[in-house]
Amino acid sequence: MSISEYDGRVARASTTSDVFNAIAEADRRDILDVLTTGEKAVGAIVTQLSLSQPQVSKHLKVLSEVGLVRSRAEGRLRLYRLEPARLRPLHDWLAKYEQAWNDRLDRIDDYLQELQQQGDGSDT
Amino acid sequence: MTPNRHGSARIEFPNELDVLITREFDAPIALVFDVLTKPEHVSKWGATPPDQMKVCEIDLRVGGTYHHVFVTEDGTECSFRGTYLEIEPPVRTVETWLFDGWPDAEAVETMQLHETEGVTTLTMRLAFRDQAGRDHMTRFDGQEESFDAMEDILRSLLETETVPE
Repeated sequence: MSISEYDGRVARASTTSDVFNAIAEADRRDILDVLTTGEKAVGAIVTQLSLSQPQVSKHLKVLSEVGLVRSRAEGRLRLYRLEPARLRPLHDWLAKYEQAWNDRLDRIDDYLQELQQQGDGSDT
Repeated sequence: MTPNRHGSARIEFPNELDVLITREFDAPIALVFDVLTKPEHVSKWGATPPDQMKVCEIDLRVGGTYHHVFVTEDGTECSFRGTYLEIEPPVRTVETWLFDGWPDAEAVETMQLHETEGVTTLTMRLAFRDQAGRDHMTRFDGQEESFDAMEDILRSLLETETVPE
């Protein structure tokens, strides 16, 4: 038996977006991860990850271009923060994937309840 | 009263090759096992409406095969098949999993059941042979990178900040 038949349909849904490319790179995901704890300067990101300052700056540029991070100047520092709304396409994809599984497992659940209710009456 | 468990499945991507799904049911383990492995039951819940389950063949013995075919509203057929590698009623089956549309993405599916005080927990592990296979399940258009770390980040983001509607 297989309860995974419909995953394919979800996975094949078209989801073309620059956000997906930006987030596909491991170092950039690490940077996003660091930023989940709050707004940070480039230097703070560099010290938390084993990346050079030019690397971090390059990645931040890509992330800024797709709108995943925003920056602002504070004195001589430039502070970067996450823009979680831009993760919406990813969130939607994950939600759809989870929905497909939940629909299937909910149908099994309903069917089990139905069988047990029938069983209470006669079939034991 | 039994709790409403709808929508409570947990889906994880624990490593590069696996997809792990966990869900509880308010039913005894023997009944859950039957519902998941007997064609007369699987044919009742197998298809997502309005799709229909056209073929539901299950030969539940080691070396036996299963074959499921679904038909969508527009007549498209999706065919899944595999061979049982282990059968241990009512707690476990292990079978190969092959979607005819992805001939390169064979996986091994392990279904494990565990009952505690009338609640049966189903754990499904779908283990792909290589990452190309699993990426069929999780990649975005043309995207070869894995989904694992992305998923973790996404979840932590969703926990810390609300994504506006």
